[in-house]
Amino acid sequence: MRPFAYDRAETTALAARHPTAQGQTDAKVQFLAGGTTLLDLMKLDVLRPERVVDITPLKARHSGIEVGPDGLRLGGLAAMAAVADHPAVKRDYPAIAEALQLAASPQLRNMATLGGNVLQRTRCPYYRDPSWAACNKRTPGSGCAAIGGFNRQHAVLGVSERCIAQYPGDFAVALAALDAEVELVGPGGARRISILDLHTGSDRPHIEHSLRPGEVIVGFRVPAAPWARRSTYLKIRDRQSYEFAIASAAVALDLDGGVVRHARIGLGGMAYKPWRAKAAEAALVGKPLTEDTATAAARLALEGAVGHGHNDYKVELGRRTVVRALLAASATEV
Amino acid sequence: MAYDASDDPRQLFGRPTPRIDGVAKVTGAARYASDEPVANPAYAYLVTSAVARGRVAGFDLDQARAAPGFIDVLTHENVGGQVKTNPDPAGKPDNTTTLESDKIWHDGQIIAVVLAESFEAARDAAHRVGVRYAAEAPSASFDSPGVQVEAHKPQTPDAKKGDAAGAFEGAPVKVEARYSTPTQHHNPIELFTTTCVWDGPKLTIYEPTQSMWGLKGGLAKQLSLDPKDVRTVSRFVGGAFGSKGSPTGRTAWIALAAKRLNRPVKLIASRDQGFTIATYRAETRQQVKLGATRDGKLVSFFHEGWEVTSRPSGYNVAGVETTARMYACPNIATAVNVVHADRNTPGFMRAPPETPYMFGLESAMDELAYALNMDPVELRRVNDTQTDPVDGRPFSSRSLMPCFDQAAARFGWSRRDPKPGAMRDGDWQVGWGCATACYPSNIGPAAARLSLTPSGKAAIQLAGHEIGTGAYTTVAVTVAHALGLKVEDVTVTMGDSDLPPVPVAGGSNNAASTTNVAYKACQMVRDRVAGAAVKAQDSPFHGADPAALRLQDGLLRGPGNLSEPLDKAVARTGGRLEVYAENIPAGLPPSAAQGLYEGKMVMSRGTGRKDVTAFAFGAHFVEMRVHVRTREARVGRVVSAFAAGTIVNPTTAHSQFMSGAIWGLSAALHEATEIDADAARYVNDNLADYLLPVNADVPPIEIIMVPEKDDRVNPLGVKGIGEIGITGMNAAVANAVFHATGKRIRDLPIRVEHLL
Amino acid sequence: MDRTQPEGPSRRHVIGAAAGIAAVPAVGSAAETGRAAQSDASGKVDMTLTVNGQARRAMLDVRTSLLDALREHLDLTGSKKGCDQGQCGACTVHVDGERVLSCLILAVSVQGRRITTIEGLAEAGGRLHPMQQAFIDQDGFQCGYCTPGQILSAIACVNEGHAGSDDEIREYMSGNLCRCAAYPKIVAAIKQARPQMAVSPGTPAKVGQV
Repeated sequence: MRPFAYDRAETTALAARHPTAQGQTDAKVQFLAGGTTLLDLMKLDVLRPERVVDITPLKARHSGIEVGPDGLRLGGLAAMAAVADHPAVKRDYPAIAEALQLAASPQLRNMATLGGNVLQRTRCPYYRDPSWAACNKRTPGSGCAAIGGFNRQHAVLGVSERCIAQYPGDFAVALAALDAEVELVGPGGARRISILDLHTGSDRPHIEHSLRPGEVIVGFRVPAAPWARRSTYLKIRDRQSYEFAIASAAVALDLDGGVVRHARIGLGGMAYKPWRAKAAEAALVGKPLTEDTATAAARLALEGAVGHGHNDYKVELGRRTVVRALLAASATEV
Repeated sequence: MAYDASDDPRQLFGRPTPRIDGVAKVTGAARYASDEPVANPAYAYLVTSAVARGRVAGFDLDQARAAPGFIDVLTHENVGGQVKTNPDPAGKPDNTTTLESDKIWHDGQIIAVVLAESFEAARDAAHRVGVRYAAEAPSASFDSPGVQVEAHKPQTPDAKKGDAAGAFEGAPVKVEARYSTPTQHHNPIELFTTTCVWDGPKLTIYEPTQSMWGLKGGLAKQLSLDPKDVRTVSRFVGGAFGSKGSPTGRTAWIALAAKRLNRPVKLIASRDQGFTIATYRAETRQQVKLGATRDGKLVSFFHEGWEVTSRPSGYNVAGVETTARMYACPNIATAVNVVHADRNTPGFMRAPPETPYMFGLESAMDELAYALNMDPVELRRVNDTQTDPVDGRPFSSRSLMPCFDQAAARFGWSRRDPKPGAMRDGDWQVGWGCATACYPSNIGPAAARLSLTPSGKAAIQLAGHEIGTGAYTTVAVTVAHALGLKVEDVTVTMGDSDLPPVPVAGGSNNAASTTNVAYKACQMVRDRVAGAAVKAQDSPFHGADPAALRLQDGLLRGPGNLSEPLDKAVARTGGRLEVYAENIPAGLPPSAAQGLYEGKMVMSRGTGRKDVTAFAFGAHFVEMRVHVRTREARVGRVVSAFAAGTIVNPTTAHSQFMSGAIWGLSAALHEATEIDADAARYVNDNLADYLLPVNADVPPIEIIMVPEKDDRVNPLGVKGIGEIGITGMNAAVANAVFHATGKRIRDLPIRVEHLL
Repeated sequence: MDRTQPEGPSRRHVIGAAAGIAAVPAVGSAAETGRAAQSDASGKVDMTLTVNGQARRAMLDVRTSLLDALREHLDLTGSKKGCDQGQCGACTVHVDGERVLSCLILAVSVQGRRITTIEGLAEAGGRLHPMQQAFIDQDGFQCGYCTPGQILSAIACVNEGHAGSDDEIREYMSGNLCRCAAYPKIVAAIKQARPQMAVSPGTPAKVGQV
């Protein structure tokens, strides 16, 4: 961990005065919220900010949880644990609550904020250890040690020859499935973007997302929708808890007597960024949710998936995860 | 000498006793090595190699020197010749080096030690060290080009009897299969730490160790010091599992750094560094061939292993020494090969030979049971024996089938439908499997000092090791019972090489070695008290046979219900009584005591004894559940039974058995160190990616302690229990997964992708 | 939608580290700070931490984690370092009554918050917290290294209402690795302590508030 100046920002206006570049490895200024990613990567000497701006004072204004007729609004600095335990979120947006509850550990969920969580960096071991020379995410143009290396945990969707890192989070996958928007405040004022536009692609791996300098995630909006209550988050992993997904699916269904009116499918644990399987969703509409239709949708969801050896299994596991999640959601009492 | 049946020392034990160090451990008062306060320490941070083979061509140190708080940096260039190389875990001189030269043997090798004013400054400066490598293409593991394969050099000749090949050819039922087990790292939660403090010529090392005197002797040699000037302190060890059994390369450099700075130096190595600066369980490949008659009697046993090691060391675990002794068989052949790669030297990890090799054997036994259409428990029964099949010596005791029968009954094994895939619970396929557990019963020489005051307070001192086994408590229980005191009246001091030596806390010898020497010391105290009593006019025992007296209930007791208060009996010996005892187990030479003081590993092993072969045995039963779609394999429940002679403290013994069993589950389902094949570097060197089980992974586990009296293994009948729990469990899991799914997994760990 | 409503007086704190940061523009001046903490030339900061009810003052490197502040500077070595990267739970402490990982918290950032460590659980007379006693009674540990973190996590698990069933306890205790694998006995300890924490004084609410 390199020396840095420590700063606290009491307001978003003050935070906005800092030229952060949260999503870039060489950023000189970083916001500190829960610290669970930032301090970890600073200790590993991956991130070397010269100024750290502690935005936890913003919690006072930006950690609310509101469940209303228009939808769900979550403060960007709300703790993961608070949202995971919220009765109305559990009742009306189960995929959100489950994704948060199945993430990390109770201690980390107390510390980590929602905004920090969606920005969590990849767990790619070649990224996390600077003694590996080749990593396009850390050092643009240096190559990718994971391609041809040990890549069992890596992504099969949205990858490129530059980077096959996996987006490790859960919550953003549920947000992606439920059409959520991200509320940002920065030097240019406030704006909202789709969660699907927050994370950027593997063609430019050294840039992780579309936040502008000084922008803070102050909230998330999940629109009210007939499928939200029949939603679930299924997380597959090698151990029962406290582990990142090797495959996950957030699904939501609006059923009309067993026939799919609307479907939403987000994929995690196998994609470069929080992934939305729209072709699979479309294929389900108007059909009864059965083993066969779910399997056909799952095939579409993993279309274009590319394995790199150790992670080849994720293509088939991903399909099965989608099927299992769809069948579970359809069987849910709402 | 027998007074009555209860004079049998084995009767002393068996009462569940809470840990006497419990309060220290639940209040944060227990001092682990890095908790020891030292004045004004400098902090060390290691720089480790990013390549696995080659040389250090040079360092760029300007940036590191410019880091705030930087003090000094040690490299081969400035200190290379000042330390002798640490031997390998087997004590052989051929081992990988650290700062001795520019040579790089493996990834993560220590190549520099940065010293700074604070931990933060040291870490920062270490990250700024630039290294120029002259790198060569490394060999990572079995299939890598450039590895060298050779037959191992066995401790005792490889087991061979009859004509295994010929018998296999002619056997009516055969199983032939290849198995593999992965690289594993101990990953105790306590990191590898070292704090060194000099006081003139005297060096004190605070370091978590399983071998106080081994570390002392080893460091004295490496630093060319008089062993009298080296003291090691390790009052509590935060998990060890073998990783802290042999000295590692780091310690001498920290001592040297403290000397150079004339100031205490403290090292807390990082978690990832722990994967390469200490040892690990090497990956194995095995071939097993079993031939049997149609009624299941083995006629041929063949087991061959391949094990990875470093370039210079021949270290290997050769578990065929154990597997060849499990079942009666007239024709036996074994072989072990070592495969030298560009890796750090492996070493002891909980049940080093049995964990990998019993996986091969016990999986093959299950395959044989299916080939025979025979219940796997019955297959073990048909081949059970009270005689070591290799040496022809009797087992000191062997309660394998009582373990199988009691655990099977408790598990409900009789309700099992043997057909694979026959059992299901909703979306989960269910399977039941079993396997044999075993571990040799080892004991080493040990020394202790014991005192008893007239007020009935005993104090025992020995350089023992509390690594979680409950060592303080087992010694206290022994002394309390043998002297007729309450456990609260016994003080145990351990974890300091200024105390009399005991062997390495490894090979599950700790309880046998320390309780037997403690008991011997207690007998010496009793002899002194009794001897004085029979000579004293004022004693009710005047003129009695001293052998008929014993210490019990705070009294000196004798025949005919006569007794004398302890204070009077002890005071008569001259007040506070102190004895020094050495126990040299039967079969070891008298020089064993000297070896102990030199920090050498001297052990009476369960195999290779002249009189008996000594093992503890057990049986595992496990239920596995595999999801029909996504194929996660989860453990449903476990019943394991063990017979391990005298159980000193059932409370801590239960914990040892239980956690061993969980280690076995973990070996089957979770743990594997992944290696980048081209770079020969460990990739998942952290606790998020190297999977240990979490609480949610562990189902209800029932442990049965099958009573067993053994009057041959050692005087107290104590067999080691710390390692047996893990053995065979990996096979039991794989056997249960086969039963659940019909899929035989011969390569561990069992992952989703194997079952898709 | 703009949620940046007026947010009260502007207060900010700048705490410098060591040399090499001059290139980064500071926003505003440190003089604005309400409770400014300034670094000295070596990058150290005068900090006050409230640990187990006591205010503890120290000059620490701004990079110091809460864990290292406790262990290396305040002689509170009960909190343990097992990974230093949020993966093992051995460093678990309570901040304002919530369980958190002290290895991933900058000490400078939790000034003014209530920090409770394992050393702060037993009563002054030495009477153990029911959870501490339960860990002894159930043999809920072996080497003892992860135990302080387990106990603080276990107390929080009960206080959060996440100790309702064995399965729930297992899940909500999964952030604390125990390499000795005492897990089933940790579950038993929590079940033993749970009812005592609900009724006996000096328990749940008090933890973290002392």
